[in-house]
Amino acid sequence: MEMELAGIRKSYKKKKVLRNISLSTKRGSCVGILGGNGSGKSTLLSILAGVQKADGGSFLYQGEDLLQNSSRIPSVLGYVPQGNPLIEELNAWDNLRMWYDRATLLRELEQGSLAMLGIGNFLKTPVHKMSGGMKKRLSIGCAVVARPKILVLDEPSAALDLICKENIYCYLEQYKAEGGIVLLATHDMQELELCEQCYILKEGVLESYQYDGDLHHLAGKL
Amino acid sequence: MNENLRYFGAQLKRVMKTFPRQLIVNLVVCLCVGVLLVAFIRDGLLSQDGQKYRIGLVGDMSDSYLGFGLTALQSLDDSRFMIELIPMTDQEAREAFEKGDLYAVVQIPEGMMEAIESGANDRRISYIAAEGQKGIGTMVMGQIVDVASTLVTRSQSAIFGMQSILLERGMREEFWEATNTLNLLLIELVVNRSGFYDVEVLGIANGLSTEGYYFCSILLFLLLLSGINNSPLFTHKQTDMSRFMKSRGVGAAGQVAGEYLAYLCLMILCVVVIFIPLFWCLERELFTIPEWEGMGAQPLVRFFIVLLPAVAMFAALQFLLYELTAGVVSGILLQFICGIGMGYLSGFFYPSAFFPEIMQRLGSVMPTGAALRYVNDSLVEEKFGTAGFGVLLYLAVFLALSVLVRKNGIRRG
Repeated sequence: MEMELAGIRKSYKKKKVLRNISLSTKRGSCVGILGGNGSGKSTLLSILAGVQKADGGSFLYQGEDLLQNSSRIPSVLGYVPQGNPLIEELNAWDNLRMWYDRATLLRELEQGSLAMLGIGNFLKTPVHKMSGGMKKRLSIGCAVVARPKILVLDEPSAALDLICKENIYCYLEQYKAEGGIVLLATHDMQELELCEQCYILKEGVLESYQYDGDLHHLAGKL
Repeated sequence: MNENLRYFGAQLKRVMKTFPRQLIVNLVVCLCVGVLLVAFIRDGLLSQDGQKYRIGLVGDMSDSYLGFGLTALQSLDDSRFMIELIPMTDQEAREAFEKGDLYAVVQIPEGMMEAIESGANDRRISYIAAEGQKGIGTMVMGQIVDVASTLVTRSQSAIFGMQSILLERGMREEFWEATNTLNLLLIELVVNRSGFYDVEVLGIANGLSTEGYYFCSILLFLLLLSGINNSPLFTHKQTDMSRFMKSRGVGAAGQVAGEYLAYLCLMILCVVVIFIPLFWCLERELFTIPEWEGMGAQPLVRFFIVLLPAVAMFAALQFLLYELTAGVVSGILLQFICGIGMGYLSGFFYPSAFFPEIMQRLGSVMPTGAALRYVNDSLVEEKFGTAGFGVLLYLAVFLALSVLVRKNGIRRG
């Protein structure tokens, strides 16, 4: 397997948020993690992104434990948090320039991830004047320009309209097709359709789940 | 390019977008403060004349000698520069005292002059001051009353002694002339007593002139309040940005460094904006402070450089307050309360010597107190004293605390 989580644990004081989280996946696949509010989805993703430290366990990518070698995380993994990690006063170009050099951005705008996300259309628009969909696309753009192997998204299409969602899903399909691994936390049933593997995170325990379109059954599991 | 540097560049670009607004606010505030300061200095409100003690005189003042004495005090004696004696009735004195128009009331008992003339010293002058006026002023006034009483009794003794000797020796013809001569001699000694000492005024506080002291304190207060103006820029929490940056390898320290340095650049630019009109005024001698008298605008350039550690410390303090607050309103309130409270205790409005000792100590150990002391010292001296190290220590503490708060924010989401 290309990516493997094994025995990841995390506690806040006495509260155990994650208990021995384990899963594995191959290249070009999408893993969806479902769970109610406060179930620990965001905590799990932030541990994988190197934002928080796990109490134990490993996060293997091509056999290398990224939790032990966290300096490697930025080059392997792109992280899109729930909100938009953007500076409101600056435009799209300035936000992208914080992370990448000019030549890389121009190349990606012409025929790479930024072109696929359609960011070239609002490159000079200040973030505070952008719609929710534009902001989310730009947030994803900030995470993927360096072409990470794993993309971790925390509820990527929350509060977006259908057109924006469709735009983002198209991009994620393309990303998978290029061999990338997508790991997303979601409440959205549409997003589950992108996923080859689904898991439910409940009371810190991760369980495999096969979504068959029965929303009532799913709600009962959460 | 390093991502920390890129982040600093982005933050710099961000804060500079607010510079035109900053510029307008600063110019308006500076204009108001400048007009007030010039009016203050030009009208002599800060001069000694404005600080005379008004003393009400009540009681029996019918005696012509007493009237002559009071006229002499108010027209010839050096005390006239400090004390204004106002004869009034009991009722007038009571009302004026209650309104705070009088510093104290001196009551002359009935028949005092007759008692003095007959050689009896059984009538006492009463000096009445309010409870809240215990201080150096009240103490000095009490001493002056004691000195006056002593002078009267000593003069009496001298005059009666001389008269007895003259009578014993049968020198009746010289009696009145000698009495007048001795009286005049005693009055001359009292009136000319200022010839016995020299007064050296060291300044309002920290050895500075009033103008120099308030130049420093108003400048620091302006810097302190600039935190309010910048609140909308930094108080809204960008937790997602912080978490994203952490995932990109830029930790809490790198984030705080990038944002703080950008904010510091904005503060320094604001100081430059304040100093340009000051430089212009000093160059044309429209305004000066005694410490820089006759030196033109040259000392201002050196002063700008020595001011930088204090600017950096204030920027760090404001940055920490931004980190601690979540909303713009709470950010503005916190900046305002801290600015006013710390500024007041540290002597930005009144020199701290005016306050009780416990408040003086508290004010001096506060960051604002250390900054004021450092800037006051730097106005006249070139050495970097202990106050300067205090400022640097506070700077380091505030930045370290900001990093801890940011770390906690990233961890908690």
